Amino acid sequence: MFSIVFCTKLRYHFNHANDNHYHIAGYIQRVGGKKVSAQEAVLQGAQTRKARAAGFYTVFIAGLIVLILLSAVFSVSIGQVHVPFGQAMKILLHALTGGRLGSLEQVDNASFVNIVMQVRMPRVVFALLIGIGLSLCGAVMQAVVQNPLADPYILGISSGASLGATFAILVGFGSGTILSQFGVASAAFIGATVTALGVLLLSSIGGRATSVKLVLSGVVVGSMCGSFSSLITYFANDAEGIKSVTFWMMGSLGSASWGKVPVMAGVVLAGSLLFLLQHRILNTMLLGDESAVTLGINLSLYRKLYMAGAALVTGTMVAYAGMIGFVGLIIPHIVRGMFGADHKRLMPASLLLGSLFLIWADILSRTLVHNVELPIGIITSVIGSPVFIYMIIKKGYNFGG
Amino acid sequence: MKLTATNMEIRIGRKDIVKRVSVQVQEKQFVGLIGPNGCGKSTLLKGIYKSLTPHGGEVFLDGMNVLRTPEKKVSQKLGVVGQFNEMHFDLTVHQMVLLGRTPHKKMLEPDNGSDREIVDEALRRTNLLGYKDRSFLSLSGGEKQRVVLARTIAQQPEFMILDEPTNHLDVRYQIEILSCVKNLGIGVLAALHDLEMAAHYCDYLYAVKDGEVYAHGRPEDVLTPENIEEIYEVKCQTYINPITNHLAFAYNL
Repeated sequence: MFSIVFCTKLRYHFNHANDNHYHIAGYIQRVGGKKVSAQEAVLQGAQTRKARAAGFYTVFIAGLIVLILLSAVFSVSIGQVHVPFGQAMKILLHALTGGRLGSLEQVDNASFVNIVMQVRMPRVVFALLIGIGLSLCGAVMQAVVQNPLADPYILGISSGASLGATFAILVGFGSGTILSQFGVASAAFIGATVTALGVLLLSSIGGRATSVKLVLSGVVVGSMCGSFSSLITYFANDAEGIKSVTFWMMGSLGSASWGKVPVMAGVVLAGSLLFLLQHRILNTMLLGDESAVTLGINLSLYRKLYMAGAALVTGTMVAYAGMIGFVGLIIPHIVRGMFGADHKRLMPASLLLGSLFLIWADILSRTLVHNVELPIGIITSVIGSPVFIYMIIKKGYNFGG
Repeated sequence: MKLTATNMEIRIGRKDIVKRVSVQVQEKQFVGLIGPNGCGKSTLLKGIYKSLTPHGGEVFLDGMNVLRTPEKKVSQKLGVVGQFNEMHFDLTVHQMVLLGRTPHKKMLEPDNGSDREIVDEALRRTNLLGYKDRSFLSLSGGEKQRVVLARTIAQQPEFMILDEPTNHLDVRYQIEILSCVKNLGIGVLAALHDLEMAAHYCDYLYAVKDGEVYAHGRPEDVLTPENIEEIYEVKCQTYINPITNHLAFAYNL
């Protein structure tokens, strides 16, 4: 606080000491030696502040990683069968290190190992990966369309996936055809990617894909898919099917299994690696098309590439877990409120915070109502909205602009 | 660097905005582009720095064919200060200026010490050192424009294009920005709306009217009462300001 006041005073002093000098380039030379050192002091003050901020960031990231690990262990220890925290930790250590660390001798019940490793662990891994994926795609989409309201499901992806899922559940592909082998997941994935492709093509008509064109094409394609889904639901004479469509749309980690983890992990981690290395171009995107071109970056091209990448990641997540709202929207905003919009810091912190958030949302969804598993999408929205409102009212955060 | 744009033709929709315009900027020359609103100054500049694709014409920066060279290559030599800089997300001044290093960076190359020195030097030249950690969106119009200028300086261009850089700015900021650019000692092509500033800072002027070059030459030869009357459609008298000893203008309808 002191240094800010100090800077302001110095600036005031400078401006008035130099009322007769207008030329900036010669500015430094003209001011006396004493004041140059004063300006250097301002610079040094800024550097200490910066170093402190960088230190806080490192601590924050390390803290998040520790919290994620602890939460994961906590998450596998709770449920209908209670596994004590210490034993859950031992089981996980044993599995992770191939038996070198953590002995299973002190585990009370032999079935604990099974429950933790086969039933609960895939679910935690799913929560972790989907948390990463959603905040990744949210942050990328917000940069791509230069709009703070964007989330992973913008650009019609959610409506496309819903249409695919609705079709698979209520109509089906008929028995005997190749498509009948595909389940709801594949249908949702196909729906998501086809709509994303449609939106990309539509926005590329007539030259450059600007952010406004992308958003508008997303709205148009999305509402078209939405109305088809409604049409199918309207004519469906299948109460059970309609219920499962609704449940799918609310999002759930219930379908998690080790068999699905490799695909999910591959897609999400590959996407994270790709976008974590793109912070420079993502930052340039914030400047808008005009400035980006003068910095040597053709935004139209990168927009399409990034959108396609984010759509693939989102499509995979939607296929396995349905729609989990709010995570991709608020997590990047919370991190921006803390560390600013520089993607070099925004991306890693968002990914970690997103996965921590989803692990806890999953814990809540399993424990809030006894013996009932709430759809995780409900939990994320119920937590997310008040956090968002709090940010608007209390913190004076202006959502990037 | 020397810039040569020949026979530039740009259409927007069906309207010809720029009609076979040629401009030339010699080594280290400060060349001004003047003309009324909507005469095609900005469009011409956008065609030159590849924001718009011209329908005809060629642009050369020394030996480099700008229109056929990838954006990244061009941006290593050519810096641009535009009119508007609307943003939806906030960055600090330091982060903004650091983005000026983008053209010189490979895909995964991190910023190093020399980049930070270049950025500090750019901030020093634009008198923004104390602003390093301020948020860009909280700045005033004049300060924002200085940040964009600092970013362009950090780009270390060998040629600079300015599109009405002093639009909406108070007189002090206008002088600060133009002096700073002039002191860089590189070739500059600038669209300017203030004739006194143009007369003072430019070595050579192109006057544009209806998408064509109406007159060009040294400022005192171009900025005659007759030319100004024809270009801007106002009555005008020129005189030498007794205090500044620069060319000055008095307008009337």
